Amino acid sequence: MAAPGAPAAAARAEQSPNTERAEPYLRIRGLTKRFGAFTALADVDLDVWPGELVTFLGPSGCGKTTLLRAIAGLDPQTAGTIEQAGREISRLPASARDFGIVFQSYALFPNLTVRDNIAYGLFATRRSKREIETRVAELLELVGLADQADKYPAQLSGGQQQRVALARALALRPGLLLLDEPLSALDARVRVRLRAEIRDLQRRLGLTTILVTHDQEEALTISDRIVVMNRGRIEQVGTPEEVYARPATPFVADFVGKMNFLEGRLAAPDRVALAGAELRLAAPVALPPASRVLLCIRPEEVVLREAARSTDNRLLAEVAAMDFVGSHYATRLRILGTELALFAELSLNAVRDLGIRPGARLPVRLPAERLRLFPAGEPRR
Amino acid sequence: MASPRALAAPLPASARPVRQALAFDERVMRAGLLLLLLYLAITVVLPLWALFAKAFEGPEGGFAGLANFAAYAATPALTSSLRNALVVATLSTAICIALAFGYAYALTRTCLPGKSLFAAVATVPLLAPSLLPAIALVYLFGNQGLARWALFGHSIYGPIGIVIGEVFWTFPHALIILTTALSTADARLYEAALALKASPARIFFTVTLPAVRYGLISATFVVFTLVITDFGVPKVIGGSYNVLALDVYKHVVGQQNFRMGAVVGMILLVPAVLSFVVDRFAQKRQAALLSARAVPYVPKPDPLVDGAAFVFCALVACAILSILGVAVFASFVNFWPYDLSFSLKNYDFDNMDGGGWESYRNSLEMATLTAVFGTALVFTGAWLVEKTRAFVWVRGLAHLAALLPLAVPGLVMGIGYVFFFVEPSNPFHFLYGSMAILVVCTIAHFYSVAHLAAVTALKQLDPEFEAVSASLKVPLYRTFLKVTVPVCLPAVLDIAAYFFVNAMTTVSAVVFLYSPRTQLASIAVLNMDDAGDIAPAAAMAVLIFATSALVRGAYALLVRRLLARTQAWRSR
Repeated sequence: MAAPGAPAAAARAEQSPNTERAEPYLRIRGLTKRFGAFTALADVDLDVWPGELVTFLGPSGCGKTTLLRAIAGLDPQTAGTIEQAGREISRLPASARDFGIVFQSYALFPNLTVRDNIAYGLFATRRSKREIETRVAELLELVGLADQADKYPAQLSGGQQQRVALARALALRPGLLLLDEPLSALDARVRVRLRAEIRDLQRRLGLTTILVTHDQEEALTISDRIVVMNRGRIEQVGTPEEVYARPATPFVADFVGKMNFLEGRLAAPDRVALAGAELRLAAPVALPPASRVLLCIRPEEVVLREAARSTDNRLLAEVAAMDFVGSHYATRLRILGTELALFAELSLNAVRDLGIRPGARLPVRLPAERLRLFPAGEPRR
Repeated sequence: MASPRALAAPLPASARPVRQALAFDERVMRAGLLLLLLYLAITVVLPLWALFAKAFEGPEGGFAGLANFAAYAATPALTSSLRNALVVATLSTAICIALAFGYAYALTRTCLPGKSLFAAVATVPLLAPSLLPAIALVYLFGNQGLARWALFGHSIYGPIGIVIGEVFWTFPHALIILTTALSTADARLYEAALALKASPARIFFTVTLPAVRYGLISATFVVFTLVITDFGVPKVIGGSYNVLALDVYKHVVGQQNFRMGAVVGMILLVPAVLSFVVDRFAQKRQAALLSARAVPYVPKPDPLVDGAAFVFCALVACAILSILGVAVFASFVNFWPYDLSFSLKNYDFDNMDGGGWESYRNSLEMATLTAVFGTALVFTGAWLVEKTRAFVWVRGLAHLAALLPLAVPGLVMGIGYVFFFVEPSNPFHFLYGSMAILVVCTIAHFYSVAHLAAVTALKQLDPEFEAVSASLKVPLYRTFLKVTVPVCLPAVLDIAAYFFVNAMTTVSAVVFLYSPRTQLASIAVLNMDDAGDIAPAAAMAVLIFATSALVRGAYALLVRRLLARTQAWRSR
């Protein structure tokens, strides 16, 4: 379909968000939501830029759905402001705001056909019958359900129902699309396919979109930016690469992807003493001497192949257990001379070439540029 | 963020509490909810309040403290009817629960043949006023009864007749509760018990009984309350054996002694309120017993057990059908028991006292109005209670007011109405003696069960329908009419049929409220029996039964056709 302004929006989506650009589409300041004594959202600030797809990611109860529902006006915040396209909307009821929404349950009207579900909002807009028909046909085409128009929701598969809900949400050409865990009711295969379809559609329409999910893989693949949330607060906002490579807090490090956590103490501004070993950091850190710290490295960043060549950050380890998971071996290593355990992902090739098996001893290297450091005591999951 | 706008400065979290403006829809819903609350206050709460006030009122008006209650306790005739009522209610409850448990067990836990037929027969008593079994018992065991010899010289007029009549009339009520309790069994518990080599008796006492204990408690209280507050059966067959419910009737209708009537009404309220509280508690516990992952129990064929179940159910079903059958038969004969030739003369109501065919037409009108207005009111009300956002206090209050009638016996509701509407100073006094007050009272009397059915149906809808409508800028009334009502249509029809049948058969509340112009069929039965015209009374009772059965049948057919056609979406 010919989406209005699609090329421009697509170009926008290509850009990485930066503050040089025009006004943010959505500007959230000091948003707080309390349920009695419980604080579901604590003083949240966030900007969402036009045309980007932002994911709210976090464990259940972290406040991501609460934030989405506050933006929609379904459960208004206790305090704080929300501006959409330069307009303060905090006091507006949901029906006076500009958004389309897809729920986890889809909330399709079971007694209406696919066509009538999609047309549901169009009837309220005083359009002619012809206009409505054209628009519905357009939307059916857009989500690839033209041949299912006269079926009832219960006669469709989960993925098809999801697409109907999407088409219904897009019918009024909203400025903002809200997706509340839209894929979690689907099985894995359909989920991956629909994820790509939603992303593609969103890019084509250049539609500012917020997606709520607890699935970190989904957030990493689909988003322009990820907002990682925990206990009613934003832990980090960044592109998927930023969030994965440079987690801002131990919580993010632990929640997004897999991570080894090693407890140690600062021996020098650029050296960390673990129990029985010492590791060099890529750069000195500004923490008091002898501070207790958490050292992090991802399992796939543990180097085995060239470990013998360099002595830099090299440790001797014993293979404690190996779990075959198809694409690789999830391996648990014990660092010799310490109590430390280290998880590593070993490729099938590496295992074959190096003859690795449980009980084997081998040198492993933790590259300094891959090590991340947090002061000890910050909460993890 | 480097934005030039001053607004970008983060606000302290507690600086400005946000109050969302109400959408037009929400204002309308809130106003509707307040109206509903007002309606329930006028039709349920205030009449009850009038009853309370009357019970504590002195002979010259004014507050008399407990003087009326003291006078009650000092009247031997009155306290003896309390004793009588307790005896009869205890006996009836014990027998009824035992029979209903066996019947429910057979229906849910065995493979007895003809289950649906047995289940249908058991609902027969729901379709007739409680007067019908009493009249039938007169024909069977009365002075000219067919089977008088079976009582070995005892008289049916008195406790024996009352107990048999009440067991018949309350049987389906107990059966529904116990069937529900017994059908929510977790098969895994039985498999575990078998694997542990428990004997059938041990399984029954350690698995089956504990699982249905709340159902048993609930059914016991419900039946006890129904019996103690019913006055149809004792009126017809009680003879000189006085019970509480009869006292209310005699005081209010016979002697116009409103204060003493109110006192007895208050006493009747005790078991009803107790039963209400216990029932609420038990149902919550019962629901919690079955986890979502439970595997439904499927009975396996066992010739011995199934055969015993069949014999038992057949006996009970025969008893029910013969009571109904005797009433039908007696209504069509010339002169019981001497001339058993076919005759329609008992249906010539216009030539008898009691209101004639006019009363039947009045009943039809009243039941239709009750079904139409009651269903619209209850369903819209339940929707408002369920779907209005925030407004927690008013919603809670409206829900409570909607459940209140469940704790009020019809008899008590009826005298409350008399006390409240008879006052000329009441702005609604003009309703007194009209058809409208009968409809309003009947809706109030049966409000709770209908409300609960509507709430259950509404709770099964996706909670986000209203959110979706708001995001699509569709007014809520449109979603209510286009989606909510059509999806809930089976429940809506069920509520309508419930109202209709109960309006046809009820005696207890309306007996205080009818006027010569608004005679009802069920009251005609009462009055004709009172005047000694037992055969026409039986005929009218049979007519009521036939009408109710017809409506129930039509409902079943309609729902089946609806599900087949407009609700094609239900099937995958």
